[in-house]
Amino acid sequence: MADAQKKKSNKWKEIGLPLGIAVVLSGLGWYFFPPVMPHIQLPAEPVLEQPLLRLGGIWGDIYLTNTLVATLLIDVVLLGLVWAVQKAARSGDLIPRGISGVLEATLEAIYNLTETTAGKWTETIFPYFATFFLVVLIANWTELLPGVDSIGWLHHVEEGVKGFGHVGPFLMKKPGDFQVMAWVRVASTDLNFTIALALVSVFMTQVIGVRALGLPYFKKFFNIEAIFKVKPMYMGVIDFFVSILEIISEVAKIISFSFRLFGNLFAGSVMLFVLGYLVPILLQSGVLLLEAFVGIVQALVFGMLTLMFMALATHPHGGEEHGEAHA
Amino acid sequence: MDPQSIVTAAKLIGAGLAMIGAMGGGIGIGLSAHGAVQGIARNPDVAGQVQTNMILGIAFAEAVAIYCLVVALLILFVVK
Repeated sequence: MADAQKKKSNKWKEIGLPLGIAVVLSGLGWYFFPPVMPHIQLPAEPVLEQPLLRLGGIWGDIYLTNTLVATLLIDVVLLGLVWAVQKAARSGDLIPRGISGVLEATLEAIYNLTETTAGKWTETIFPYFATFFLVVLIANWTELLPGVDSIGWLHHVEEGVKGFGHVGPFLMKKPGDFQVMAWVRVASTDLNFTIALALVSVFMTQVIGVRALGLPYFKKFFNIEAIFKVKPMYMGVIDFFVSILEIISEVAKIISFSFRLFGNLFAGSVMLFVLGYLVPILLQSGVLLLEAFVGIVQALVFGMLTLMFMALATHPHGGEEHGEAHA
Repeated sequence: MDPQSIVTAAKLIGAGLAMIGAMGGGIGIGLSAHGAVQGIARNPDVAGQVQTNMILGIAFAEAVAIYCLVVALLILFVVK
């Protein structure tokens, strides 16, 4: 009992000192560099003035936006993971250690999850699930890095936006017309990124459906057969129109996929901005923990939904209705 | 009173009204937690599985509230 108490007090001593230092430092930071309310905007800002590609016409120009920088960073991190795993695999060491061990445990859990849902199509569906999970997870967790959303060019704001003055490289709470244009912004807070992922997911669902069932897969969308087969005939016609509704549900999938991820992460970023501005001490750290949780849950949900839709597409669309995952 | 301030006021009111929809998400999350806790109370052995499914269900229910939040944020930051 006494031992346990002693242990507890030791623990508090260990935590207390860094915690106290952190509070004092953030208090000093608050005093000398009072936080300013960042300008929140939906479209990503271009990091370079010049567009990367001039396409013209309806396509417009392609700029190196700060979310694109984040996407490239995700690619670099993913390739780094691949390199680490490859090195571990080549070394012939059968005990997974470090990064490759963590990845192995994660991917094994994902694989088992896939197996329970997808059955014999596990080998086909697992890569999509794992890829979406890892990409979305790393994209979401860039939000937790210091410097993301807060380090960048100082630029003059356009009219109607609140700006601030600056001292050296720091934006200060002084009159002026400057705002920070971050070099890196979380990729998931850009609708282009999430819609691209959703399009890949829904398109590959159709491909896997065709691979599993062949051309009869499209009977799900154009159930012309029902008009002639189902008696009485008006029931068949109703079945036909119900099958056309399936097309709308595919489109709704793209929208719900992309807006779920985008909404969660954009709302999280805005919450971090506003809380960092209102309560700069300690509270933001707690919210960062919440954001880490939201990031992993959204990555899992994106992957799980892809898995479920793909597994559904491999089943023949028989008379019985499948339990559809909505939202 | 200049027109711009009326527009700003309308934007703020609209964003507030859009968030009424978050009520549905809250009810959904409450219901799924209710079901999960009852399930765990009856059969504590499957607590882990129930919890995983509950978090997934909560994520789906939350998505609806998040759509409202997206609409509110669009009204606040995109509509001029």
